[in-house]
Amino acid sequence: MNKLYVWGIIITAAMLGATYVTVGYQKGGLNGDIVNMLAIAGAVALVIITVFVVIKYVRQMQTDTATGELADESWDNIGEYKNPVPMGWAIMFLGTMIWGMWYFTVGYPVNAYSQIGEYNEEVAEKNAQFEKKYANIKGEELVNMGESVYLVECVACHGLNADGNNEIDAADLNKRISAKSVKHVIEHGSNNNLLYQGSMMPDRNGLLNMATGQVITDKEIDAVSQYVADGLQNQNSEGAQVFANVCASCHGADGKGIEQVAPNIATWDEKLIVNVLDYGKKGAIGTMPVMDRLNAKQKEAVAVYVMSLNKGE
Amino acid sequence: MFHWLEKNPFLFAVGVFIVIAFAGLIEIVPNFAEASRPVIGTKPYSTLELAGRQVYIKNSCNACHSQLIRPFKSETDRYGHYSLSGEYAYDRPFLWGSKRTGPDLHRVGNYRTTEWHENHMKDPKSIVPTTIMPGYPWMFTTNADIDTAYAEQLTVAQFFGVPYNKPVPMKDGSTTVVKMGKSIKEARELALEEAKKVAADMKDQDVKDAVARGEIPEIVALIAYLNSLK
Repeated sequence: MNKLYVWGIIITAAMLGATYVTVGYQKGGLNGDIVNMLAIAGAVALVIITVFVVIKYVRQMQTDTATGELADESWDNIGEYKNPVPMGWAIMFLGTMIWGMWYFTVGYPVNAYSQIGEYNEEVAEKNAQFEKKYANIKGEELVNMGESVYLVECVACHGLNADGNNEIDAADLNKRISAKSVKHVIEHGSNNNLLYQGSMMPDRNGLLNMATGQVITDKEIDAVSQYVADGLQNQNSEGAQVFANVCASCHGADGKGIEQVAPNIATWDEKLIVNVLDYGKKGAIGTMPVMDRLNAKQKEAVAVYVMSLNKGE
Repeated sequence: MFHWLEKNPFLFAVGVFIVIAFAGLIEIVPNFAEASRPVIGTKPYSTLELAGRQVYIKNSCNACHSQLIRPFKSETDRYGHYSLSGEYAYDRPFLWGSKRTGPDLHRVGNYRTTEWHENHMKDPKSIVPTTIMPGYPWMFTTNADIDTAYAEQLTVAQFFGVPYNKPVPMKDGSTTVVKMGKSIKEARELALEEAKKVAADMKDQDVKDAVARGEIPEIVALIAYLNSLK
């Protein structure tokens, strides 16, 4: 027997033994698990095939003699046989060329793919789905949508309970306005685009009390701030008097605002909230960023949600 | 004709390298030059913003926060428009980051405010109760390095032609000018002027006092930088 086969058998046995030992000592090991067994079978097959393929070609190198018709050319006395190209190889060669042409012209043409194009398609498709699904959303569902948008976009500042956050001075959305804000607006005036156009509210030097004929005083500011923050409820207070004489001419007797003149300061309304989302806001309680990445339906939903928070009071 | 090349394999290898490298260059360079031009609306960093950027790098913010919004709807819904390569034109080095332990910050200036950053950097859990981000309280007491930021500004203006003191086109058709001091004294003054605007929106009295004294705590520079990310 050729020495080569002996070595082949020795190496095969050694590698199989090593595989058996290695796997056997692993956690789980040779416990009959189907995946482990398949892996071992694969390893055994690999070892045997490798060893015998190597033996075949080493034998061939040792014993083979080349045959065939020599080509006419000779390069430094190195000749070349005129053997035909093997059929399988030729078929694969031509097949690859044909496949390559198909790939570049029909299958995946050069420049046919655009990442941004795919993104645009994805967005258009999702937006169309959204439009279709929520075209007629209203009532409870709209409030729920508003809450889910709130929990993603607004919660980072206004908090889980929408009661604002004193740390970062986000507004308490459970009520329309705080006394601090009213006071700040009276003292500094306001132009927060709450009514679309830049209609200015004058600062305290432009706010005349019609009853006294004087500019609004510190005491009156405190009183009216409290009155507005309490939701314009306490009609017998001094604040109510001040409100009627100073603020009502623009904000209306009930504080609900006047179209094109002054915003609603008694309750939240949808237009007001959407305007805050569109333009942002800067006042006594810090800066509210513009949230214009929400779509119209989402803004409406947030508005309805915020309004629903105030229903109970 | 080319026999001499076959006899000099090393020279041949060099020649092959040059030919292939040239082919690569003419494919890559024109596209790259086009894509790395600043997009309209991208403006250079001011001195204070650059100092804040160095604070950002110093504290390895980019280890947890990326600055690259990919074009997927799930990302653009959350972070805003996907990032364009020209928007990084003035970033040296880029702070794309490779891992998002925290959210992306490429457009954080659009949806977070000075007040928010101030409290969040001091004690993140007070703002986002479930966050794993640590607090950075020392930024409120350590002063930012304005001089190095100015040195960086001078360098990039000189070597890369970053347009300081020149009109830069903005998205709405207007132009804006980012000022760079002519001397280090002027640069410090400009940075302080900007810091005062940021500090006006902050609540920490120590920081306000420091800025009033003419010092610039790191937090002020960092917030200026974060607000500039749009």
